[in-house]
Formats: sequence, C-alpha cells, structure tokens
Amino acid sequence: MNHYKLSISEINKLFKDKKLKPSELYSEVFERAANTESIIHGHLTLFQDENIKKAADADKRYENGTELGILDGIPIAIKDNINIAGYATTCSSQMLSNYISPYDATVITKLKDEGVMFTGKTNLDEFAMGSSTENSAFGPTKNPWDPSRVPGGSSGGSAAVVSAGSAIASLGSDTGGSIRQPASFCGVVGFKPTYGTVSRFGLVAFASSLDQIGPITNNVEDSKILFNSMKGFDPFDATSGKESKTKQPKLKNAKIGIIKELMEDGISEDAKLEVQKVAKLLESQGHEIVEVSLPLTKMSISIYYLIAPAECSANLSRFDGVRYGNRVAGNTSYEMMENTRAEGFGPEVKKRILLGTYALSAGYYDAFYGQALKARAMMKKEFTETYKEVDYLISPTTPSDPFKFGEKSDNQLEMYMSDLCTIPANLVGMPAISIPTGLSSNGLPLSVQIMSPANTDNTLLEFSQKLESVVSFTSLPEIKGDVS
Amino acid sequence: METHVELKTNSKMFCRCNVVETDKPNENLCPTCLGLPGSLPVPNKRAIEFITLLALSTKCQITTDGMFHRKNYFYPDLPKNYQISQFDLPVGTEGSLEIVVNGEFSTVEIERVHMEEDTGKSTHIGSGRIDSATSTHLDFNRAGIPLVEVVTKPLIKSSKEAVSYIEELRQLVIDLDISEGKLEKGNLRFDANISVAYENDDELGTKVEIKNMNSLRSLEKAIEYEISRQTKMLNNNETIIQETRHWDEKKEVTSSMRSKEGSADYRYFSDPDIPNMILSEDFIDKIKNNMPVLPSEKRNTFINSGLSIEEANSIGKSPKWMGELYKSVSDITNDSKTTFNWITGELQGQLRKLGETSPPEWMTAEQLAEIISLVKNDKISFTSGKEILAELIEEKINPEEYAISNKLIQENDTEEISKMVKEIIKENSEVLERIANGEEKLIGFLVGQVIKLSNGKVNPSVAKELLLKEIK
Ligand SMILES: [Zn+2]
Repeated sequence: MNHYKLSISEINKLFKDKKLKPSELYSEVFERAANTESIIHGHLTLFQDENIKKAADADKRYENGTELGILDGIPIAIKDNINIAGYATTCSSQMLSNYISPYDATVITKLKDEGVMFTGKTNLDEFAMGSSTENSAFGPTKNPWDPSRVPGGSSGGSAAVVSAGSAIASLGSDTGGSIRQPASFCGVVGFKPTYGTVSRFGLVAFASSLDQIGPITNNVEDSKILFNSMKGFDPFDATSGKESKTKQPKLKNAKIGIIKELMEDGISEDAKLEVQKVAKLLESQGHEIVEVSLPLTKMSISIYYLIAPAECSANLSRFDGVRYGNRVAGNTSYEMMENTRAEGFGPEVKKRILLGTYALSAGYYDAFYGQALKARAMMKKEFTETYKEVDYLISPTTPSDPFKFGEKSDNQLEMYMSDLCTIPANLVGMPAISIPTGLSSNGLPLSVQIMSPANTDNTLLEFSQKLESVVSFTSLPEIKGDVS
Repeated sequence: METHVELKTNSKMFCRCNVVETDKPNENLCPTCLGLPGSLPVPNKRAIEFITLLALSTKCQITTDGMFHRKNYFYPDLPKNYQISQFDLPVGTEGSLEIVVNGEFSTVEIERVHMEEDTGKSTHIGSGRIDSATSTHLDFNRAGIPLVEVVTKPLIKSSKEAVSYIEELRQLVIDLDISEGKLEKGNLRFDANISVAYENDDELGTKVEIKNMNSLRSLEKAIEYEISRQTKMLNNNETIIQETRHWDEKKEVTSSMRSKEGSADYRYFSDPDIPNMILSEDFIDKIKNNMPVLPSEKRNTFINSGLSIEEANSIGKSPKWMGELYKSVSDITNDSKTTFNWITGELQGQLRKLGETSPPEWMTAEQLAEIISLVKNDKISFTSGKEILAELIEEKINPEEYAISNKLIQENDTEEISKMVKEIIKENSEVLERIANGEEKLIGFLVGQVIKLSNGKVNPSVAKELLLKEIK
C-alpha cells in the first residue's frame, strides 16, 4: 500500500501504532521522487542521504514513545527561497546558484523542532516572480496532471511535488497567489495565512508587505497542522503579529459572498461553474450565498504591479556580487556590480526591478507608487466593509485551468491576469485558501478560493475542512512515464 | 551642519550584534547586518529611547507616529544597497540648541533629528577613492550601528559658530550618556553646507557641501577656506555650482568630488519590514522624567556661581570631575574666579604634565580649598601653593601641616619685618641713592634681600610695602 497520499494525522497514527516507520515512509517518498522527478522536476535538490540518519532517529523516537509531535518523521519539501542552514538557497536564480545559507529561517527552526524531515528544495520562478515556473534559471517544473502544462507559480515545484507524492506536504511563499495558484493547477490545497502570522525571517524577500509563507498539502487538515506549527510572533520579524482577539466568522449558517467582479470577463466558464457548484453545496449545508461587489478588485493587478516591483527593486539591491553569490568581474567596483546583476538576473526579474525603480523615482512617486498605496488602503476598507455583511468570500482561485508551456509567456498581461483572483488577499493581508473541487472540461483540476477577515485563519481552515468533506474531490494525477 | 552621532547602545540598530570596539574586521556580524537573503530588521528600542532623549533635550517637536524609510543607493559597504533611515517623519523637528560663541550666547536652530543605521567601512588601497583604488577592503563591524543625524537650519554664520555648535552637541550627547562623543573615533562625524551671498541679498547663495573633516580644527579651516573660495568666485562674477567637495587635510583645500552622488535620486519609500514607530505619551514622559542635567543648565549654574559666560562654558566642556571639583571647592572658598583659575589652570596643567587625566582619588575638595585659602590669606606664597599642590598629587598630605613642617608659612608680623627692613636699608645706602635717582626696579632687589635675611619666610608683598614706607 502507498502511504504518500495519506493525511499527516493518518500517517502519525500508523507511526504510533507501529504499522509504519518513518524510515519506510521516507524510502517510499524518495522512491516516488526517483520515479517522477525526471518528468516533473519539482525538486531542485533532494536531501536523500543526509535523511537516512534522521529517519532512523525518528524510528527510534516512535519506538520509545518519545516522538516530538504529529509532524515527527513527516517528509516535507521546502521552496528554494526559504533558508535551511548548510544548504543552498538559490531562489532559482543564477545569481545565487552557489549560495549556501548559514542560517535557518524561523519556520525551518520550528519544523526541525517538531521532527520534520526535509525532502529537499523545490523549484520556483526566479525570486518568486512568475506564475508558471517558466522563469526558473534551472528549467521549469511540469504539471503532474499533464507535463505539457505549467504547474503554476511561483511555488510550482512545491505544488507539483505534493501532487506527485514525492513529499507529504510542502512550504511555499505567496506574494500575489504564489501558493494558491500552483496548488489549484496541481489539484492540491494551498493556504496563504494572514500577513504577519507566520514569520518571514529567512524567506528571501520579494515584496515585503505582501510576502507570506504557507503550506501546500493534500488536504485542509494538513494545512491546518502545518500552519499551527509555524505561526506565532517572532522576535526576528518586526511585522510578525502577536495573537489578536478578532471576531470570528460563523461556522454554521454562515453568510458567504461571491465576489461579482471575479465572476465576470477574464474568468473561464469552467471556473465560474466550479464556484457555482460549490455555492450550491454550501447552500445545501445551511449556509447563505449572496453576491457582493468589491469594485476595486478590478484594480488589484494594477495596484500589485506598482507595489510589488517597487519593494522588490530595493529588496533585490543586495545581490551585487560583493559579499555572496556569483560575481562577474569588472574594471571598477561599480562595473563589477553592474556586470553581476546583468548576468545574474533573468529577464522577468530585471523587468520588475526596472518597473519598481521607475515607480519610486523622483517625479513619478506620487503618480505611481504613492497612488498605489492609496488605492491599496481604499481596497482594504472595501473588504473591511464587506466583511461586516458576510462571513466569508468565495471566488475561483484561477481564471482558468492550467495553461500550456509558452502559452502565456508571449503575452505578459495575460500571464499577470492569472493572479487576478489571488492578489486581493495579499493586498488586504487576509487569509485565503485554495481547495480543489473538480475537473475542467480538459480533465484538469479546478479550485475555489475562500477568504475571511485577517486573523481568522483557524476558523477559515475549519470551515474549509467541512467544505472539503462535502466536495470530496479524490482525483489524482496519472503521471505519464511514471514507472512505478 | 549635518552631524552623525554614533549611539552607544549595547547592540546594533536592527539586529542583536554587539557594538564593541575591535581591531579584527568582520567580527560582529549576523545575517541582518550583513544583508543576507531573507534577513529582517528589528528596531532597537534603546536607540529609539536615546534619540528621543536627544530630540527632547534639543527642544524638538516629537513625531509620535513616525516611520523608517529605505534610502536607495549602491555602494559596496552598504550591505543591502539601501540604508534604513528616516525621511519625511523624523523623530524630532524644529528644535534649537543654545551655544556660546566668543563669550556670548547664541542659538542654533535645528531642523531635524532622525534615526538611521551606519554603513560598513571601506578602506581603499592605492587611492583615496573607490573609483581609482586598486582594491577595497570592507569591514562590516560598523554596519548597522545606530546613528542619529542632527541637521541644523542654514543660519550658522561663521566657522567659530560652527565649531561651538559641534562642541555643544558633543557635550550634550556625552552628558545625556547616549554616545562616547569621541571625534577621533568617529563617534561624531560632520559635514558642512556652505553658501555665500552678497551682504544685502535676502536669499542664500548656492550651497556647497564639504565632507571629510575629522577634527574641529579641520572644520574651522575648511569652512574658512570655502568661504574665501566662494567669495572670490562671486567677486569674479563666477557661478558657484551645487556640489560635494572633499576637504584635503594636508593641502588644506577643498576639491570637487564626483557630483554623481549629489544628484542621486534615493527613491525613499517607507520600509515595509518595520511597522510605524509609535512613541506613546508614556514612553515620552518616562524619558522626560529621567532627563539628566543638560550642558546649558550646568553652564547656568556656573554662571550663577560667579563665572563669566566664557569660563562657565569652558569648565562645562571640561572633563566631568573638573566641574564637580570646582563646585565643591568654590562652595568652601566662596571665591569662584580664584577657584576656577586653580582648577582649570594649575591643577589641570600639573596633571597634564604628569600624563594624568584626573586627580588622584585621595585629593579632596577640602585639601584643594585649603591650599587656595593659604595662598589667598598670604600664609604661603603662590609658588609654595603650587609646590604643595604638586605634593598632594604625589601623595596624601595635609596641606597646612605640610606648609608648616616645610617652613613655607610666610612671616606676616610687620614689627619683625620692619626690623629686617631697617637693617637692609642700613646696609644698602648706595642702592637707596640709585632708587632716589629713578632706578625703581632696584626695590625688587631690596625685597629679595629682606626675604633672604628671613630665610624666605617673609611675605614679599608685606616686605615691599614696608620698604616703600621707609624710603619715602
Ligand atoms: Zn548583526
């Protein structure tokens, strides 16, 4: 029997009941990687050998009844923009292809304390900029459902490995949908927590006011387990929050708003139908469905593509070849920095740095970045007002099912539009989850996204868990060429 | 004037690295102050307390809802290639500082007091400048040390005033105990912006920024050089361009630096890694209530004790023990000027000769007051007083006992001295004649003879007085 699609709590029960050993699960997962990675290319690196001892240690803990918790011995993949001490953190960029992190991200420290085993580092769009992993300097990741299609991005590797079974769960980062969109494309669950609930310390920054680490899992319960093991105030992250008392949305007889603006042009029929299907299911469970209008949602791409590049233009300044990473020589130190950046960054990263630098420049700041900040504040207000009327908001996660490689790389605006539904949660800072609910006419996974007010993450997860059980999406990808 | 003050916090501004002096480069580093990927800044509360203290003591308005901004520019010793600084919402604005220039009070208006982090240190090999250096050595120990920048309004009118301002600011940060305040260690670093205009012009001329002045002396010289350079240019109808100039310590001239940096667009924007800096009323009140005595208050106390503005200013800027000793001693002697002169002149001079920076621990205000009183009451000569002081610096003695046992007490009994005077007059009739003929200098010779006769015990002024009486 295969165990790699079981839930974390099921696996934990098998471990405790001595019906399965962590080392056995570990072998299974790595065998799975051996069979699928040549097709999927989800992992950039696999930590196979160094985990043999760790798995044996976990075995012993379960034998002695001294296991560290529910995550002890669970193999989890980490997006390669999250630092693990002693391992490379490449961000899928030539710039950092030789960079070894000397320190652990806070989430890594927390997971290590729980006995988690890391399968390896997963592929992403360079510096998390993209929606398809086509921007990885080390080649794209393929969608397990159809290798001719993208897995989504930027956390494409993290979503694909969970879908393919070469990790039980994974961590991604979400700046404008980078967890939820690939989770949707790969038919798994992706959760972006409230901004600031999970420490960003050790996550290589793309856009600091939007970035958030979150789990990609086979089911909602796993996301809940991982989220709760990672969350909490971190003295190394000034934006990480202390728990605040917030009025929680209702779990029974809740009022759920379908966002009108995310059911219009630009959204495929399949995606709309999926939301309507789920809405009916929710209604049958005693919830009330209403349509709500959030007009500024339509502006979210414009706002996002001013704020995110502006922040990234400063965040990525540190990659200059002076202290770490690759260096390209020059006649002067400035020439060296220029050459390093010219060769180290790929085209999408350069484009966003230029865009952000422009948006912040004297004479343009007010018209671009300043304006975007104002619009963002207004958008937050719009959502706050709406949440006075409804408990949750629902929309498609992505405008369509997974697209083919190259399909959108020539039309950048269309590529950016694939984040239309996911960006608002980042701009507003609220939690959002993507749950696979069905298949498109192409036989590819489709998901819905549920959002709730900031700091109501666990309620949202609980609500989603209930929805998941009535949707009962059980389809799994058949990986072509998979020899197992 | 733009002055950077290095704060003496235990740890750096945005990380937990120690702020300690070390000769080893790149010792005190962590992911944050080295700008490693994924690191984040967390503000140092102590540094915020320090800057608030400085802002309050310079009578600034406090921004209770401020924030940090990113100042973007590329330089190899700037780890993130942006500096976390403050932009339009600095901690303090619209303040002032009372200073003393040429013995008179003056006020320097302060535009802003803001918080930022220091950069690393570059050592250029083969040239003073990065673009022509053969290699550059980088030391990031300094990177991330908290800095306060204090910017004045353009109202300082002379090099003297600028120097006095820096002296006052330095004393302030020392008395507030927020900085070592050592210029030679770079705890205080200043740039001067200078503009010259015609006497009747309302508007200031084009400003030129001068960098690289490492001492008060070079500050004074650089400003004077720049004023005369710009004045000459104006007189020749030349146009002064806005630029940054480098003070050359050896040649004592300023020369143009790359104007690239001056025209840089720093693309300031609020740092999304740091929440807004909310300074609560409670926080500010606590700092106000723990405010130490400020240099201006100290100065006023000295003035009230009888010193001139200049004297009060000078002792206020001397080492702490001096002001304290002055206060205790003058309380006993009730003679501020004499006490001031003994402490700032004689005592400090003798200590300096011995290479000491402060008096020995056994020296008390009472002992020093006793020496001063002995001299003042003519019990001993000034020379003897100096001798006793030197002895007191050497070992613990009782000044009066020392004077007695070393026969330093002067003879003040006029009857005794009159006898000796008469005897000397008798013996020196020739000298008397010459004095009568106008050689008045010779009176001193006769005084000397009297002292000799008394084995040095006679008070010279008493002897002279009696001599003059006898001669007339
Ligand atoms: Zn540090």
